[in-house]
Amino acid sequence: MRVRGMERGPREFAEFYESTRDDCLRIVLLNVGDRHLADDLVAEAYTRAWISWLKVRELEVPRAWVVRTALNTHVSWWRRRRREVALGEHDTAMPAEQDALVSGDLVAVLRRLPARQREVVTLRLLLDLDTETTARILRIAPGTVGAHLHKAVATLRAAIPTHDSQEISK
Amino acid sequence: MNDNDTVAVVRDSLAAAKDSLAEVRMDTPLDAIARNGRARRRRHRLTGVTGAMAVMAGAALAATTLAPSGQSSSPSGRGAGHAPAERLAAWTVNRQANGDIKVNVRQLSDPSGLQSTLRADGVPASVTVLGHPGPSCRPYPMSQAMFASVYLADKPAASGDTVLIINPSALPSGVGVQIGATAGRDAGGAGLHRGDENQAVHHAVHQPARQAGAHNSVLRAVLVYASQQCTGS
Repeated sequence: MRVRGMERGPREFAEFYESTRDDCLRIVLLNVGDRHLADDLVAEAYTRAWISWLKVRELEVPRAWVVRTALNTHVSWWRRRRREVALGEHDTAMPAEQDALVSGDLVAVLRRLPARQREVVTLRLLLDLDTETTARILRIAPGTVGAHLHKAVATLRAAIPTHDSQEISK
Repeated sequence: MNDNDTVAVVRDSLAAAKDSLAEVRMDTPLDAIARNGRARRRRHRLTGVTGAMAVMAGAALAATTLAPSGQSSSPSGRGAGHAPAERLAAWTVNRQANGDIKVNVRQLSDPSGLQSTLRADGVPASVTVLGHPGPSCRPYPMSQAMFASVYLADKPAASGDTVLIINPSALPSGVGVQIGATAGRDAGGAGLHRGDENQAVHHAVHQPARQAGAHNSVLRAVLVYASQQCTGS
């Protein structure tokens, strides 16, 4: 029996949510470094995906849409929060153990990358998409993806301790 | 090392960083996502329908109304275990079949009565018109997802009442709810806000029509640490 789209949608979304939510959360957490914030951003992105599921489900890589939406939401929240007063003590975000989970030079450098480079790294290396798919999602040329990736990787590589440096530091 | 090798090294290192987060899981239930989505759809529809009227009224986002000082508030509400048939002056509290507590607020004219009613129904609750948590209450830090699982903002009632549905089973241990009205200086901020002066995370719930002669204010819902002084338990 053929299942109508409106009936199939909720089940499809549920399957999509269950199969992608943890991975998307971890990728966003690597990018923002704050567990509560990452939870909020990803929940917000999935809520938007739920609202627009009939469109999102047709995308080439729906989970990439979720991650991008979460990170773009982060940018707009951050801009808005800059204009607000300092947070009260009750609104501090990440417990120390969570901070330890996502600390490290590499991740710190990732968070400092220019937005477009970070986006390319997220899609290419964290979501493991190929250059052409990344280019289509970002609506840029494949060569531009390569250029951003080249710059980002050079920056990130410097934050990864080499075998030699580890030996020296011992 | 060529470019491909460098990419591989960085990819492996990022994968290791991600793998180190294997314990991190998205706890938000699917139901909460769907509920938020439905509420937002309703809000969008509502915005579309009422937008023109709101512009004409010039007070589009007043969230609820405080009764003028001294106004009689009796009778104010009903206990959650009672039948919801009677239409009451200021607010009503009703337990739904699934255990959720539905609060209809027209005027927050008897906050202590509403507070007692919620507490009698087993919800650690504080109701205030201070506009901030008050000295005996400490805001509980929470994510939007947690907020959404505890407070299920419903569509406004046809009467224009503010409707708030509390899911007590979603309250973390040692945490209660606080409902409060505050002056409407930021009444336009329907939605989740952080770091706004003394507020932790608060939410301006749905907005009824402004009532003539009443003060313009916003109804806010937050989570607070439960204590005898704050939430009664």
